[in-house]
Amino acid sequence: MLLHGNFSIPFRSPLRPPISITLHHPRKLSFAAAAAAQQGFAISDQELESRGFIFRRTIEDLNLDQLNSVFVAVGFPKRDTDKIKVALEHTDSLLWVEYEKTKRPVAFARATGDGVFNAIIWDVVVDPTFQGIGLGKAVIERVVEELLQKGITNIALYSEPRVLGFYRPLGFVSDPEGIRGMVYSRKNKKK
Amino acid sequence: MQTSSSSSLCAIVPLDCILNCSNQLAYPCSFSLGLSRGSRDLKVSRLKAGFWESIRSGLIKNNSTQVIEPPSSTDPQEDEEPLPQEFVLVEKTLPDGTIEQIIFSSGGDVDIYDLQALCDKVGWPRRPLSKLAAALRNSYMVATLHSVKKSASGEELNNEKKLIGMARATSDHAFNATIWDVLVDPSYQGQGLGKALIEKIIRALLQRDIGNITLFADSKVVEFYRNLGFEADPEGIKGMFWYPRF
Repeated sequence: MLLHGNFSIPFRSPLRPPISITLHHPRKLSFAAAAAAQQGFAISDQELESRGFIFRRTIEDLNLDQLNSVFVAVGFPKRDTDKIKVALEHTDSLLWVEYEKTKRPVAFARATGDGVFNAIIWDVVVDPTFQGIGLGKAVIERVVEELLQKGITNIALYSEPRVLGFYRPLGFVSDPEGIRGMVYSRKNKKK
Repeated sequence: MQTSSSSSLCAIVPLDCILNCSNQLAYPCSFSLGLSRGSRDLKVSRLKAGFWESIRSGLIKNNSTQVIEPPSSTDPQEDEEPLPQEFVLVEKTLPDGTIEQIIFSSGGDVDIYDLQALCDKVGWPRRPLSKLAAALRNSYMVATLHSVKKSASGEELNNEKKLIGMARATSDHAFNATIWDVLVDPSYQGQGLGKALIEKIIRALLQRDIGNITLFADSKVVEFYRNLGFEADPEGIKGMFWYPRF
């Protein structure tokens, strides 16, 4: 669905978005976004399945302890699995990749939001053993696609500096028009 | 300190004037003179003084007031007292004798038409009403500011309840929350109401143990949020948008 690598679309390109995208979000997608949305996924579901990777979209069969260990493996702080369960139950979309051989989650991402205007993608992880083969990209492409299908066009995330280069070719722009992501910190509060 | 109030709203009140002036900050405490009587059913509770000091210090522009923290209070947000769902934030008397109260509520009771009118007022692009309603329903918290006018004798005047501010937050109920759509009626800006809205939301979220509170700020308001405790690009973490349409 997303163009990979550098791309440029001439503004007078005859490229037209497919009807379904137009109906869902008339005039809401930028030209570049619509063009990107028209493309298929970089790697298809079938191709990934043939390599033993299955896409799952519910928390059914998702072992939260195993998921937590993937989080820890990539450097997230260890979180309480009960709390993770609450978070996943109040998440609009989630996607995980099950490795058929072990039945374990090897990639994950979820998005929260208001269901109509905005969504934020959180907890994007790929098990270090399975990094570098396109799973992260596949997960993001599909989460974005699902959000677009719901009509949500304002899709954001917070990226650690070392993975800005991962998100950029997927269509993400940092600080567009000077908009800054900000996080509350108790110790920053001015008295 | 002037005891006569001007018609432009001003909630800048030095501490020593509270009991003498008709411009009052209504504390939900026993000594408050400005609490509403009559039809409005306000749930008020005594909040620790430290919290109110922090709010008021935001409202007082020159900050010359002495703020004395009670020895037990540390960070205002660490207060154990739960935030009441609805309470009077500011109260003042207008030149014609009517009383205006600014009421904060986290109950999420918003008239969609009022909200659309407010969005128009601040110049935001129109959004479909049904989607606005859905967005509010799907939000974890919706905080509003309403202006309520009463006659001098305390009766609520008809149709004088106006939506003048709103902010909402989405959340996964466990770890993260994101604040969206913060707006204050232009004629009520500059008095610390936006600040109060955000501080209340933050406090309510922290009380529910949601520790990661985030937002995306236009460049013009980054400083506003910084003063409320938000940090831009903490540890180099950057906000990114998918093909932003700006």
